[in-house]
This record gives sequence, structure tokens and C-alpha cells, in this order.
Amino acid sequence: MDIPYTVHARPDTGLYNAKVGIWLFLASEVMLFGGLFSSYIFLRLGADYPWPIHELRWDLGFINTVVLIASSVTVVWAWAAAKMRQFGRCQLLLAITVACAGVFMVNKFLEYKAKFEHYSVTLTDGSILSGHLEHGYHITFGEVKELNLNIASQKTAVTADPLDYVLPFVEGTVPAFKTAEGKDIILDAAGFAELHAEAIAKAKAEKRDSITVKLTAAAPIKFVFGKTDVFTYTADSAVFRDGTSVTGKLIDDKITLTADALDLRSVPAANRENSLAFDARYLGEEWKKYYIQNRDKEIQAFNEKYSDGKGGTTRDPAKSATFQKHAFGLHIEHQHPPAADAKPGEHGGAETDAHGADAGHGDSHGAKVVIETKDVTFFSNYTPKLNTYYAIYFTLTGLHGLHVIAGALVLLYFLVFNGKMMREDTEHFANRVEVGGLFWHFVDLVWIFLFPLLYLL
Amino acid sequence: MSDSADPAELQKHVKKYLLIGTLLLVGTIITVALAFVELPTHSLNIIVGMIVATIKASLVALIFMHLNHERPLIYKVLAFTTVFVIVLFVLFIFANADPLVDHNFEKALEPAAQVE
Repeated sequence: MDIPYTVHARPDTGLYNAKVGIWLFLASEVMLFGGLFSSYIFLRLGADYPWPIHELRWDLGFINTVVLIASSVTVVWAWAAAKMRQFGRCQLLLAITVACAGVFMVNKFLEYKAKFEHYSVTLTDGSILSGHLEHGYHITFGEVKELNLNIASQKTAVTADPLDYVLPFVEGTVPAFKTAEGKDIILDAAGFAELHAEAIAKAKAEKRDSITVKLTAAAPIKFVFGKTDVFTYTADSAVFRDGTSVTGKLIDDKITLTADALDLRSVPAANRENSLAFDARYLGEEWKKYYIQNRDKEIQAFNEKYSDGKGGTTRDPAKSATFQKHAFGLHIEHQHPPAADAKPGEHGGAETDAHGADAGHGDSHGAKVVIETKDVTFFSNYTPKLNTYYAIYFTLTGLHGLHVIAGALVLLYFLVFNGKMMREDTEHFANRVEVGGLFWHFVDLVWIFLFPLLYLL
Repeated sequence: MSDSADPAELQKHVKKYLLIGTLLLVGTIITVALAFVELPTHSLNIIVGMIVATIKASLVALIFMHLNHERPLIYKVLAFTTVFVIVLFVLFIFANADPLVDHNFEKALEPAAQVE
């Protein structure tokens, strides 16, 4: 098939078709990203919490910006090289462009991974502790003597059975069970299949939609599961995701967080010193003292920096996001706060930290805090569900990342599969590179706006 | 339509691309540096940042994307795009104002009051 106007211009447009096509497409892409940038504006202006500033790795973002700019140069240079019949150089430049895309995506992966591994815990008074879960988050629920399996009589689209949804969370070996009739049963595939068939027969006979099968364990069971492995749990019961319910005793559902930051900006000003985070069970008095000291130092530094010579300031501290962040929050690097005479920004040398019983997990990069769930209103890792800032951050950068991958794949295709066309139908090939390059430049344009808006401002 | 295949012309273009690339890198460094300078209000920081970004974007659009010597058809298409995008942003910015209550629209441009 001979596609017309791949090289020669159409008389009415004055352009080869692909160029008209790509510009129309880019116009639509502008509206796509325009809509998302508008969401960013809307969410930022309407936020009822302090909009995060400098919470992202701007150094990785900067490297990504440099990488994309370099790749924009190489892709348009590749087009010029093709036009000049410099075939080897053209291929090299296309390869560098694709390699830059690879570096960009690797950086993106590192950024996202760091965010997914970082957690934020909002306490009931509005204080926010963030940090890492060195050992994950698990709920221990024990003294379970019976399993109440919930078996539906109709076949469902999704089968969820205790083999996959309950037994994996048993600590230790799974005991043998006895049915309500006293029959011994090992809960493996065969055993469950038999149980299942009997239950369905019974449900059909009794004309019921579902039937509860009670299994008594030979020894008490202790479960260790994650928050999303069960539908619900209380102090004495739990329901797994296949419908199996158990009664027992909640042993532990505390969140062991290695806290690296405390944010008190959402706590009413008068209550910040008495934040729940400074409770004796959590960070304690020493951190409260350090917070007060640090806050007062920041206030003094701000007043000095912006002094208007008449006892006031040229700048409103309530409007300075940087001041608010530094004065009403804390960086936590070790189990204990730095020495009293350290200047703000200086972290007391390692020798001043008490390397006592708490050394170990807590000291690695934060303070170990064991938080009771009754003190928690919200707990999430840094993903779109954390707040609207991260929702728009991941949406914008995620969609942009997909565009980077798509653009790189197209350019890679030209590099790998169009070698023959490059040498024998060079104008056609050059036009392809030009059009692929236009898409690539658009991707760079979006990033030029994304980087400052999300990372810096 | 294809640009002239004159190697000398194109070589000059390549020099220009490298120069523009360097300017873009400088612009990026300026953007990062400015982000750590606290202007009288944070909105000013954002405005300045966006102006620098727009300059960088114009360089990419005009020179890398060859918009400085394109055909009228492309310009016409992009004129529509520009109008629609500006209207889109303006709509969202002013959607934060309630004209029945806010007598001056500056309210729309201020982020919601911080808890103080």
C-alpha cells in the first residue's frame, strides 16, 4: 500500500500528512494535560491543609529535567543528521535519546518506590508523624478456636476460599480441624473440596443462599495479617476476605513507625506544644523541649531576617510556607533529639546521641514510635490516597511517564526497524524522525512545567 | 514538505540546537535557584517560576519543534489550542471565587486560609 504524501507536501496544506496529523494530535494532548494542570490549580487553591512544598526529591527531578533536555537536543539533531545523510550519527543520536528516556524512567521508579515505602500517620489531634515501617504493619489476632466458613451455594465469578484467604495468615503450622459433626478434616485442597461439596448440597437441600460451616481447631490458632487481608476486625472478632469469621483476641495492632518527621501545622496553634506526638508513650518530653526550642529559634531567625527596623517584620509569617514548615514541624534523625546547643540545621554529632537501649532500629534514620490505633485517624503510605497533592502528583507524573515510554518505544522502532528506509528512502525516514521528535518535544514541554510546579514551588 | 537538504544550512541548525539546549539547562538551574529564594509572597515565586518555564517552553516550541518557520495551517490549529487552554486555566482559577460573596476576585487567587 502506498500511503500518499509521506514525503511530498500536499498542495492544499503545504505539508506532508504526518506533520499535520502530529500537530492535531499534540493540540489534543495539550488539552489533556491542560485539564490535569487545571485540576492541580483547583486542588491547590482549594486545599484545606498546608500544601506540601519541597516534599519531593527535587534533585532527582532536576536530573530528570537535564536528561529530558539533552534528549530533546539529540532527537532534533538526529533529524538533522538524517537530512544530511549522516546515517551512523543519526542512529547514535536516536539511541542516546532512547537511553535518556530509560534514565528518566529509572529515576521515576526510584522516586515512586521511595514514596510507596514512606508512611504518614495522622493522630487524632491533627499531628502527623511520617516515617518508615521497618517491619511492615501486621495485626496479631490469637486464641482462635473455631473457623466459621461462609460458603455460597451458587458458583460465583470469583472464588475465595480459606486455603488462599485464611490459612496463609496462620502463624506456625496449620492445625487439623473437626467439623460440627465431629469428623476429622485436614484443611487442604482435597479436604476443602469435600467440605465444599457437602456444604453446597446441604445449602441446596435447605434452599439457602449460603451456609456456615463451623470447624473446630485441634489447637488454638494465632493469625498474623495485614490491614487489607481482612474485611474487618475488632477486639474479639475478625472477618477474612473470603467471608470466614473468627472469634478470639486481638493481641496487637499497633503501628511501629520509625518516624523521621513530625508536622504540627494542622494542629490548632495553641495545642501544638501539647501534641499527642509528645505523649510519654511516643516521642516524649525530650522531643517536646526540642520542638519548642527549635520553633523559638526559627521565629527569632525569621524576625531577624525580615525585620522592618520598627519591631515588626516586612513579611507575614502566616504566609511564609517555608517558615511554617520549619517552625511547626520537626526533622527526626535519631531516637533522641540533638544536643541543646546545636544550631537549627545542625544535627548534634553522633556522639551526643544516647546510644542506649534504643539504639538499633530507632537510631537508623529516625525515632521508633509504637502508635496505638485508637490514637490514629488516618494511616497511609505516600500514594494517591494520602492527600490531594499526592493524588495530582502521581496522576500528572504517571501519565507523563507513560508518554515518555510511548515516545521512546516509537523512536526505538525507528532506530531498530527502519534502517533500510533510512538509507533508501531517507526523506521518508527523516519525516518519521521529525514527527516522532515533535511528540518527544511535547513530552519535554510538559515536564518543563511539571518540574517546577510539583517539585519546587 | 521538507526543509532544504543543504548540509551547510542544517549544520548551522545543529549549532543552534546545541546553543538552545545550553540555554535550557541554564534556565533549569535558574528555576531551581529561584525556588529557594523567598519572594514577598509565595504566589510571586509561582509566577516567576512559570514565567521562566514559559520562556523555556517557547524555546523548545519555536526552535526544536520548528514553529518559527511553519505553515499557516499549523499556526491556525495552535491558535485554537492556545485560546482553549487559556480559557480552561482562567475558568479554574476563578472558579474558586464566589461572586455573590467575594467582592474582589483576589480572594480566588489566595490559597485557603492556613490553620493558625
